[in-house]
Order: sequence, then C-alpha cells, then structure tokens
Amino acid sequence: MLQTLPRRAVVALLALSVFFPLGLVLWQSVLSGPFFMPSAQLSLESFVFIFEDPDFWMATRNTLIVAVGMSVIAIPLGAVLAFIMVRTDLPGRRWLETPILIPIFVSPVVLGFGYVVSLGPVGFFSVWFEELFGYVPWNIYSLAAIVVIAGLTHVPHVYLYSSSALRNLGSDVEEAARLSGASPFRVARDVSIPMVSPALLYVGVLVFFLGFEIFGLPLILGDPEGHLVLTTYLYKLTNKLGTPSYHLMAAVATCIIAVTFPLVLLQRALLKSAQRFVAMKGKSARQRPLALGPWKWLALAVIALWLLLTIVVPVSGVALRSVVSSWGTGINLLEVLTLDHFRAVFEEDVMIRSILNSILIGTFGGALAVGGYLLVGLATHRKPDGLSRLVDYIVLTPRAVPGLMAGLAVFWVFLFVPFLAPLRSTLFSVWFAYAVVWLAYGMRLIQSALMQVGPELEEAGRLVGASRARVSLDITVPLIRNGLLGAWLLVFMIFEREYSTGVYLLSPGTEVIGAQIVSLWASGAVDVVAALSLINMLLVGSGLALALRFGVKLHD
Amino acid sequence: MTDKTILSVDNLALSYGYNPILKGVSMQLRRGEVVSLLGPSGSGKTTLLRAVAGLEQPHAGSVTIAGRTIYDAAAGIDIPAEKRDLGLVFQSYALWPHKTVFDNVAYPLKLRKVGQGEIAERVQAALKNLGLGHLAERYPHQLSGGQQQRVSIARALVYNPPVILLDEPLSNLDAKMREEARAWLRNLIVEMQLSALVVTHDQSEAMAMSDRILLLNGGVIEQQGSPQEMYSQPQTYFVADFMGSNNILKGRITEICDGEACVEVAGQLRLWGRRRSDAAIGQEVKAVLRVEQLHLADGPGEHRLAMDLATSMFLGDRYEYVFHAGDTLLRAWGKRPEAAGQRWLEFPPEAVWVF
Repeated sequence: MLQTLPRRAVVALLALSVFFPLGLVLWQSVLSGPFFMPSAQLSLESFVFIFEDPDFWMATRNTLIVAVGMSVIAIPLGAVLAFIMVRTDLPGRRWLETPILIPIFVSPVVLGFGYVVSLGPVGFFSVWFEELFGYVPWNIYSLAAIVVIAGLTHVPHVYLYSSSALRNLGSDVEEAARLSGASPFRVARDVSIPMVSPALLYVGVLVFFLGFEIFGLPLILGDPEGHLVLTTYLYKLTNKLGTPSYHLMAAVATCIIAVTFPLVLLQRALLKSAQRFVAMKGKSARQRPLALGPWKWLALAVIALWLLLTIVVPVSGVALRSVVSSWGTGINLLEVLTLDHFRAVFEEDVMIRSILNSILIGTFGGALAVGGYLLVGLATHRKPDGLSRLVDYIVLTPRAVPGLMAGLAVFWVFLFVPFLAPLRSTLFSVWFAYAVVWLAYGMRLIQSALMQVGPELEEAGRLVGASRARVSLDITVPLIRNGLLGAWLLVFMIFEREYSTGVYLLSPGTEVIGAQIVSLWASGAVDVVAALSLINMLLVGSGLALALRFGVKLHD
Repeated sequence: MTDKTILSVDNLALSYGYNPILKGVSMQLRRGEVVSLLGPSGSGKTTLLRAVAGLEQPHAGSVTIAGRTIYDAAAGIDIPAEKRDLGLVFQSYALWPHKTVFDNVAYPLKLRKVGQGEIAERVQAALKNLGLGHLAERYPHQLSGGQQQRVSIARALVYNPPVILLDEPLSNLDAKMREEARAWLRNLIVEMQLSALVVTHDQSEAMAMSDRILLLNGGVIEQQGSPQEMYSQPQTYFVADFMGSNNILKGRITEICDGEACVEVAGQLRLWGRRRSDAAIGQEVKAVLRVEQLHLADGPGEHRLAMDLATSMFLGDRYEYVFHAGDTLLRAWGKRPEAAGQRWLEFPPEAVWVF
C-alpha cells in the first residue's frame, strides 16, 4: 500500500519504462530508415521489404513448425509427468522435483551449445555411439532436432502449471465421484481431467507462445543448415544490408509482437477462467496416492531417459568440452585434458569483466529489480481500482516482446534520449533491459508473496493509526521478507541465465556472460565458449543451491 | 444385531502411521434413525464417517450395511468406495464446478446406466423435492452456500442409498441460516424416512437433529444414548462437561452420605451433590452444575448459599447472573435484571454432579 502521490509516480515510471521502448519499436517500423537519420520518413517500405524476402516466409514457416511441434511434445509429456509426480506412489518423487525444474534455469544458448558438443557430428556422445554401432542415426542440425529439443526442454513449464493445478484440485470432488459409484478411471475421465483442462489449455497457449520467442537453440542448432526462425532472422538482419537496418528489424519485431501480444492476452483470459474452477475448496484431506505397481519401473525409466536427454547429455557435454583441447574419432580423452580454456578466460580483461558484470547484475541488479517490483506490487496491493488494472496490463506487455528485441529497444532508448546517452555503455542499460523483460515474472513472485499477508494484519495497522506507507514499511514488507529473499534468488538465477536481452547492448563495459557467448559463438571460439558456459552454469547452480538451502519454492 | 439394523460397525480401528485415530469403535444405526457422531476436534468422528464411506483405510474391525459386509479386516473384505452404494454430503459440498446442477445430480444415475428419460425425471424430482427445480441449468459457483448444500444433498439422495452420511453439513452456513437449515434437514430426513449418520462438533445441533448421539473422545466412544440421556445422565466428567452449558467447580470431598457427597470449594462454599464417581473423602473432585439448574432464592434455606452477584447480562430471552465463587465465576439464569450485591442462590443436590 502506498500513498496516492508516490503510487502515481511509481505507475507513471513503470508505464514509461515499458511503453517508451515498445513505442520506439513500433515507430521505427513505419520509418524508411533508422530513426536518428534526418532522411527517415514515414513509410511502410520496411514491411514491403521483409514481406518480399523469401527468408522471412521461411523463418515464419519454421517458427510455426517449432511452436506447434514443441507444444505437441511438451504438453502430453509434461502433463503425464505431473500426474505421475503428484498422484502416484512413484518411489523417489521428492528427489525428482528439483531435477525436473532445472532446464528452466539453464541458459538456452548454453543448452544449445551443450547439444552441439554432445550430439553434434563430432560430439562426445556421437563419437562414442559411432564407435559402438558404426553410425550416428541423428542429425542435431535438422529442423526436426530443433523441434524435439525445444519440446523436451519445455516440459518443465507444462509440468509446473499442470502439477499445481492437480495439487489444487481438492480430493473431495474426486471422493464425491467415487461415492457416486465411479471407478478410479472414470473419476480421472469425468472429474480430474475436465477440472485441470483449463490449466492445460493455458499452458498449451504458453508453450506455443514460447515457441515464438526461442532464440538460443535455433541460433546455435539452426545455423549450420540455415534453418531460420523469426528471432534468428531478426538477428541476421543486422548484417543483411551492411548499414544498420533498424527499420527492417523493427518491422520483424512488430510482426512477432502482433502474434505474441494477443497470445499473452489470451493467456490472461484463460488464467481467469481457470481460477473459477478452484473457487470452492474443501478441507484438503490426505490424498491416497494411486499405486503404480510394476508400472513404476516404466515411469521411472521414462523420467530417467528424459532427464538424461535434457540435462545430463548437454550439461556433461559442456563440462567435458571445457577441459579438453580437441575432440574427434580415435582421440584418447586422458591425453587431451587441459585447463587452458579457463586460463585463456582469466587472462583476458573482457572475459573477467563479463564474469564480474554477470555476478553484479545478478546480485545487486537482482536486488534492485526486486526492490522495483516490490514498489509496483505495493502500489497495487489491495487497491482494486482502475490504476491497478492498468498496472496489470502494463506488467503483461513486456511478456509479449522477446528479450532480443527488448534489448534492441532499450539500446535505442539510450541512443535516443540525450540525458540517458552517457549511461548506454554502463551496466545500468543492461540492468534496465533485464528488469523490464522479466517484469511479469518478478511481479508474479512479489504478488504471490503479498497475497500471503492476511488483510486483517494490515487493517489492524491502519486502525491503530499508521498511514498506508507506514503499514507497508512496518507490517507488509517485514512479513514478506522470506518471500523477497526467495524472489531475489530466483531473479538472480534468471538474470544469470539471460542471454538474448544483452546481445544488442554488448559494448565495452556492459559485457555479460550470456551475450558474450552469443557473440563469441559467431566468431567460432568454441574453447572459450565452453569455459564461459561452464562458469555460467556454476553461477546459476550456486544460486539454485542457495535457493534450495533456504527452502525457496522454485514455483508458485 | 436386529433386522432393523442397517449399518453396523464392529470394533473398527484405524491409524495414521503410528498415531491411532480410532481405537476399536462399535456402533449401530437402525433403519429410519438419525445418529450423530459428536466430539471435539481430533476425536475421530470424521475419520469414522470416512472409514464407513471407504475413504479411509482401517486396519481392524468390520462394517456391514443392510446385511452386506463392506469391510472386514479378518476376512480381507474391502469393497471400494464406489461399490458401497452410500450417499455422502461433504462438508465443503464438493460439487463439480465444471458440471451444471443437473449434471452434478445426474452423474450417479449415469454411472448406474439409468436411461436418459428416467434420469431427467428422477433428477428433476430430486431437485424439486429440495426446492431447487429452477436452478438445474446453473453452475455451482452461481449458487449461494445454502443452495450448494441442497444440491449436494440431492446428489447424495438421488440413487436412494440405504444410508446417507453427512459430514458437518451445517458448518459452512452462517449462524442464522444454520438454525433454519437444521430444522429443514431434520424434517427432510424424517419425511423421507432416511437412515442418516451425521458428524458434528456442535452439541446443540446433535441434540436437535438426532435420535441417538455417539460422543467420541480420543478414538473411542465415551457414551451413547438418546439426546435426553446424554444431557441428563452423563456417565463421565467428559460427557457432563461436553454437553450443555456448565459451571465447573474444583473442590475436595468432606462428607459422604448415601449417594451424595459434600464438596468444599475454595475453603468457603459447601455444596451437596450426586456422587458420579467413587472418589472418597478428602479427594480432589470436580462439581458440574448446569447453568439453567441454579436459581435465585428469596432467602436462606436448605441447599441455599449467600453469594456475591457481580453483574447480570441481558441475553434476549433471559438474564445471565455472574457470581463470584472463590477465585472462579459462577453463572446462573433468571428472568429479571438484578443489581449487584449479596444474593441467595439455590443448588438442588440432583443438579450438582460430583466427579
């Protein structure tokens, strides 16, 4: 809760941070040249150009294939996984929960790199497989491989939403069906599945939407055979015409937003209708888990295979690649072991700076971002008025803008606004972009913490004479400090993982590991990329270890 | 067991891990009878109901319904919940939010492969019976709490189960509606000649609704009987204290004469009361006095004591007087407001139970 004036100031600043960069993208898309050129005029020629480019249509087609394909793979797998974890007596369920969520926190660009060094033509696993069986049946650079990998790595998203829907489903409605005479199978068919179907529909739209956003995987896996998706097409446009083709990039960005923004609004509507189903909840009786019997071995084998493919293979590939000098058929692992790559990283100022910057942006930047999200959260906390509804929509908007384009838009803001220009090559510009891109995620963390505070505790504060601001400071914030700590750790991990947002902001002084990997990958410096990737995973891993140590829930 | 018995529970025991919840409970429900399971929270009353329904897993004993054994630990019989043919009204109502009122009530019939036409007929009849005829096409979230409860009852009754189980049926209603619903529910059960087992933690609800009360305490039945018996002939201190509105005085027995004992409270009050335990002279005891049994008297006399009236409170239909009795307070009811000061209070020995 905030007083009226600071509340309006917070919302105004928030609106400016979100809509100004976005507006700049839309404005740029209808200009004939970069907006800072005096010759730029209002025109639709950028749209004409990309609509006439066959690559654009190929990228659109591929994006649709990836989005549909990964939904088809991730949704059934994630839903089945959630059912097994929540409703059955699978042994070791408690231990599996954390590994299942890990792919969410590994940078996709690191994952993509991991698949290349593990399953690529001369990858570790490919070479071993070839030595054993004489051939390699897969091609990691095909569009099908991108779809499968994108699908498998998005299983945790589906798992998160369907498992929480299954947990929220009071067992009383199922028991009522049992007593009415329904067998366990009919209970699942007539009650459980229809009741979680809104959550499944929601997550279906979410995964489809994420298909439009993915950048790291197609950048690394799609490049060798030239499979472009819309985000990588946008990225490659930079060099297409030789001159900065900002208007073309803005046009592509506008096309992507035209698809993603309605999807975000659709998600919001679906979430609302899903909540209707959990409106009534009885006292949650102990659920008797379904006995799997001999099926548990099959279930365990499926989960183990999935974990092997999505975590063990890429992560072990990155780790191994970072300590060998070269790799290929007939090479003895022990002879090529080396620490040279790490030495190379720590000898270069740029690399050291990117590591330090990454740590800074995760720790201090993360704390600062959580502070900002908290202010926005307090501005709308328990004040269901027009301003709060407006904030709801503002918060959702950056969700529709992929990180790559958000980074570009922020870059333009710092280029365009005179008094901000000196900040362009400081870490502030990167932090600002990160904070805006992850606004919706952070706000969800903050809001779920705020909702835990009983309204009567705050009302009691008001009644004994504290102002709104006082109540926030003395009652609300102290009560949610554990939630804030958790939010900080999660935002730390997300900021370490982030890579695409920093790509266009990369300049001396603003290097972060993720963007550095993207830029080094283009130059083919595989050794350094491997070392940096491992360091990146270690940073995320230490955040994860701390979060687990403090008992932070990895989901809400 | 007589042939009038419709539900019979024999020595049922149930534990959560090493924590015993039911320690051998036996009870019977006769056809057309309403029995309440009453007890404080944690006494096992809801667990007993859920075990009868097949939603909890006992480890010993047996349950028989209408002559059919549905659970018998020794014989290894455990009929799943859906085959027990019981009706259960959940405390939360547990209506399926994705089905309309009509579909909620029709579902048990659909599972029993009843024809479409007959389903429509029986559901409409059930809804009409409960005053819900006009709400058939609504969804549960569009109904008030009282309406949801009626739908939940209709769903449990539509397939004519031999026994209907009700888990705290009135606890989700607000206080004023609860009294109306209580009368409505009792009337419905009597009119439809249902055999019902009701869980409740509210003693007045239990007394008003049932023919017999089972008072549970710590997983065993403390006492069972008609509401009148439970109220006026409690066998243990727990029952005396749980039922009714009481004054509890702690003291020491100073004299025993036939079935009566004299209790000295806080060194000053001396009361004669009925002996309800075998406590001897000199032992610490508790005297239970029903609030409505104490009367103001106009002067000294047998079983009358002078007491210090602190205040009187207006309760609408009566006044409640608050007396100082040593270091505790004593409550009594009367018709007139009384000013504070010295008063005579009568303690009829048959209304003082010494445990």
